[in-house]
Order: sequence, then structure tokens, then C-alpha cells
Amino acid sequence: MLLEARHLHIGYGDAPAVWDVSLEVGAGEIVSVIGPNGAGKTTLINAIAGLLRFRQGELRFDGADMARVKPHDYCAHGIALVPEGRRLFVKMSVEENLELGCYLPAARAAHDQSLERVYGLFPILRDKRFQLAGELSGGQQQMVAIGRALMATPRIVLFDEPSLGLAPTIVDDMFEIIAKVRDDGAAVLLVEQNVVKAMGVADRAYVLEQGRIVAAGLPGDLLKQPHIREAYLGV
Amino acid sequence: MPSATLLGQALISGVLAGGMYGLLALGLSLSWGLLRLVNLSYFALAFLAAYLTYELGTTYHVEPWWSAVLIVPSMVAIGVVQYWVFDKFKVNELASLLITFSFAVILEVVIQLYWTADYRRFETHYSTLSIKAGPFYIPVLELVLCLVAGALAWGTWLWLRKTYVGKALRASAEDADIAAAYGVDHKKLAYLLSGISAGYAGVAGTFIALIATLAPAQIWAWLGVVFAVVIIGRLGNPLGALFAGMAIGASESLAMAVMSPAWAPVVSFSVLIVILLWDPDWL
Ligand SMILES: Nc1ncnc2c1ncn2[C@@H]1O[C@H](COP(=O)(O)OP(=O)(O)OP(=O)(O)O)[C@@H](O)[C@H]1O
Ligand SMILES: [Mg+2]
Repeated sequence: MLLEARHLHIGYGDAPAVWDVSLEVGAGEIVSVIGPNGAGKTTLINAIAGLLRFRQGELRFDGADMARVKPHDYCAHGIALVPEGRRLFVKMSVEENLELGCYLPAARAAHDQSLERVYGLFPILRDKRFQLAGELSGGQQQMVAIGRALMATPRIVLFDEPSLGLAPTIVDDMFEIIAKVRDDGAAVLLVEQNVVKAMGVADRAYVLEQGRIVAAGLPGDLLKQPHIREAYLGV
Repeated sequence: MPSATLLGQALISGVLAGGMYGLLALGLSLSWGLLRLVNLSYFALAFLAAYLTYELGTTYHVEPWWSAVLIVPSMVAIGVVQYWVFDKFKVNELASLLITFSFAVILEVVIQLYWTADYRRFETHYSTLSIKAGPFYIPVLELVLCLVAGALAWGTWLWLRKTYVGKALRASAEDADIAAAYGVDHKKLAYLLSGISAGYAGVAGTFIALIATLAPAQIWAWLGVVFAVVIIGRLGNPLGALFAGMAIGASESLAMAVMSPAWAPVVSFSVLIVILLWDPDWL
């Protein structure tokens, strides 16, 4: 397995938010984590990205024990995050945001190809490359956030609710891009509230509720479970 | 109304004096804007550097340029140690202001103990050199200061805009966690920037020694106006600091020429108040 989380416990100060979560992502896989508001999805994905330290458990990426890795070295292992709410550097230009994605020497060496790839995926960003990231529309900002992650030439891309707040037509585009990212060779861990879409694109999925994994399996199987149909599809 | 020549001369002197404001503002602007540390000790460090230049120059007859080769790296080292303290004690923006203010007061006392409160003047044969351009006189030292300040501000601006390290510093100032997720080791860069900022205080000190009359209390003479310059020039923007410095210097000088010297501070602080009320989004 490329990414292996075993019995992770994650929290804020004294308050635990995620309990005993185990999850795996294989190379070339798209794995979705669905769950309601406040379930702990962002907490989990931020811990996997190194933004938040986990308290207990084990996180391995390509065999490396990530507990020993400094937050700013997670990226060097090939982990790139498309964070919740995009978190662009809004006072910097679009291209500067993208270039920050390839800050590390290995990714920097591929700067030109990576930039062409991102502009190929999102042609509009080429036109706006000198504009401040903060001046773009929500959908365009999401493109920059995804582009920034791709610039890191990652082996896994972590998406935290990439469809949040976007117009329905753009949501479809985003999921197409996610599939394309996988087809280009990276694994994907996707956290979503848009259950139908997240299940549609995923090879496997986990259901996270109140900080715990309550179900896991193939999307088709999960969508047959009455609890999940009721809670997430309203049927 | 003063004559056009007088006004022109006032404008030139003002812009040149403003170069000093800009040079002193550089370090504060960088550390405030990019590290969120309001480091007031740069004023005291600049005077420490000035006194050391004076001491080396008068006692050991060392040319100030050679003194700078020694003093500026020492200031860089002090800046690095300062960041070590800020980091170790997790100092926030407000605390940094109070701590560095205290440090500056202590340095003032140390300076006073060693050099006394007497006024000191470092005379060199080029102190009073000036170039005559038409009806105007341009003091050479101030001109050199402006060129140096301009080169430093321009260079720093380019560094922040064009290099990966510079972009990483700006990104980290906006969202340190996300920058770290892309490999930016904020601490390492912060040490670098903290050293550079203190180094700029050292450069300013060299020129203070050559241009100004030294007294320990003079440490605070520029505090208010430089504070205004830093904010007007936008935090973390070295070219902004330089231009704001020259603009404030010019308006002060014109106000003095047209009205009276007492009006100088009114100018800078009126501009500051207006700007803060009008558009504080870059603070
Ligand atoms: N910075 C924080 N400090 C303290 N508690 C937090 C913090 N962020 C999240 N929490 C708490 O942790 C729990 C999980 O939050 P998290 O943001 O991970 O949920 P989520 O599944 O991502 O929700 P959403 O769908 O709204 O994004 C919640 O109870 C939340 O209140
Ligand atoms: Mg979330």
C-alpha cells in the first residue's frame, strides 16, 4: 500500500476529533472518505498532509514512518494537499501560487513541464497567471489550488471537499480532473460531502462519522447499505 | 513664500533625508510584514553600529567602510540570535514590540554607560562634501546613502519577487501551514530574514555615524517617522518603504521651508492617520 494509516487518533488540544481510524490508499487508486459536517474529515486529511500531528497510531507512506517526518518534509515524500477552502496565497499571483507548489528542488526541476501540464488542464489560468489569486472566482481558485498540488509532482493528492461552494457545472469538471490526476499516475484521497459524485469516482470508500470509520468497502456495496442510503442519499 | 531655488533645495534635502528614513524602515518593514515581529530594537542596533563606527574611526582610525565590513555581519548575528529567542519563547506580534522596545531601552543605557550622554560627532574630510548642480547643492554622503538604500531596497524587492526563497517567505507570511505543506521550512527562512533585517540596521548605523550627531537619546528621534514610513510603504514591501521614506522626507522638508520646522512631524503623522483611516487592508 502507498498510504497506510493504522489506528490514528487526532485532536485539537485536549479535545479528540478522530479516534482509531485505519485507512489505506494503494498506488493508482482513488479512495473517498465521506461523512457529515464535523465528522473529522478535514482533521484526518490534514494529519495525513502533515499539517496536524496525530497523537497515537501509525502513518506510513511508501513504507516511511511519517511520525518521524517534519511537517515541511511531508511534501518531499510525495504528498500534496488541496486544502479545504483552497487556502491560496491571495496576495500573490496565480503563477506564484503554482510555483510555490514546486518549491522543493525535485519538483522545481520539472517546473516547465509541470506548469505546461497545469495550464493544459486549466487553460483559463494561463490567461490569469499574473492576476492576484485572491481576485479569481471560486472555481478558478479551486483550479489554482489543484494546480499548486500538481506542481509538486506528487505521488498522492489529498483533496478536501474540492466541490464545496462551486457551481454544479464546475463540480462536474472538478471530478473529471480528479479522475485525470489518477490516470496521470498519482493516487487520490478524496474527502467529500457530495456523496454521489465522490462514490462515482472512487475505487474504494470509507464512511467517517463522529470521528470514527463506520463503514468501508466498494462504493457500489456501500451505497446499497440502508443506513448510508438514508443518511447520505435521503432515500 | 520662499523662492523656487529654496524650495528646490528643500525638496532635494528632503528626499535625501528621506533615504535615511527608508533605510531605517527596511528591516522593520520586512520583519513586521513577513515574520509578524515588530522589531523596534533596529533603531538601537543602528545606533550601536553608529557608535562602533565612531569608536573605530576616532580611536583606531578605521575607515567607516571597513568598519561596516565588521559591524554589519555582527548585526546580522544579533538578528539571528533575536529570532532564536522569538522562536524559543513563541513570541507573538504584540509581545515582540514590547520585548524589542525593552531591548532597545537596555541598549540605550549600555551605550550611554560606555559613550556617555555627550554629543559625539564623527568628522571626516568628506563629511561636508557636496556636488553643485545648477543652483542646488547635493551633499555627497546623503547621496551615497540614498544610492545604497535604493540598491538594498531594490535588491530585496527583487529577491522577494523573483526567487523561490522570497516567494516562500511571502507565502509563509500568508499561510505558514500551507507553505510548510509544500516544503517551506519557515524557521530557516525566518532566521535568514531576521539576520538580513538587523544587517540593514547595521548599514543604517554606518551612515548615521557619518551624517548625524550621536547621542544615546537620538535612538528614538526617528522612531515615529520611520513607523509611519513602514506602514505607508506597506508592510513587507522594501521599495514601498524607500519611496514612502523619500516622500515623507520631501514633504517634511517642504513644510519646514514653507511654514516652520515645528510642522515637520505634523506632515508625516497626518499622512499616516489619513492612510490608516482610508485603507488599512495592508496592515
Ligand atoms: N482548529 C480546531 N480547533 C478545535 N477543534 C476543531 C478545530 N477544527 C475542527 N475542530 C473540531 O473537530 C471536529 C472535526 O472537525 P473537521 O473540521 O475535521 O470536520 P469535517 O468532517 O471536515 O467537517 P466539514 O464537513 O464541516 O468540513 C469538529 O468537532 C470540530 O469542531
Ligand atoms: Mg472539513
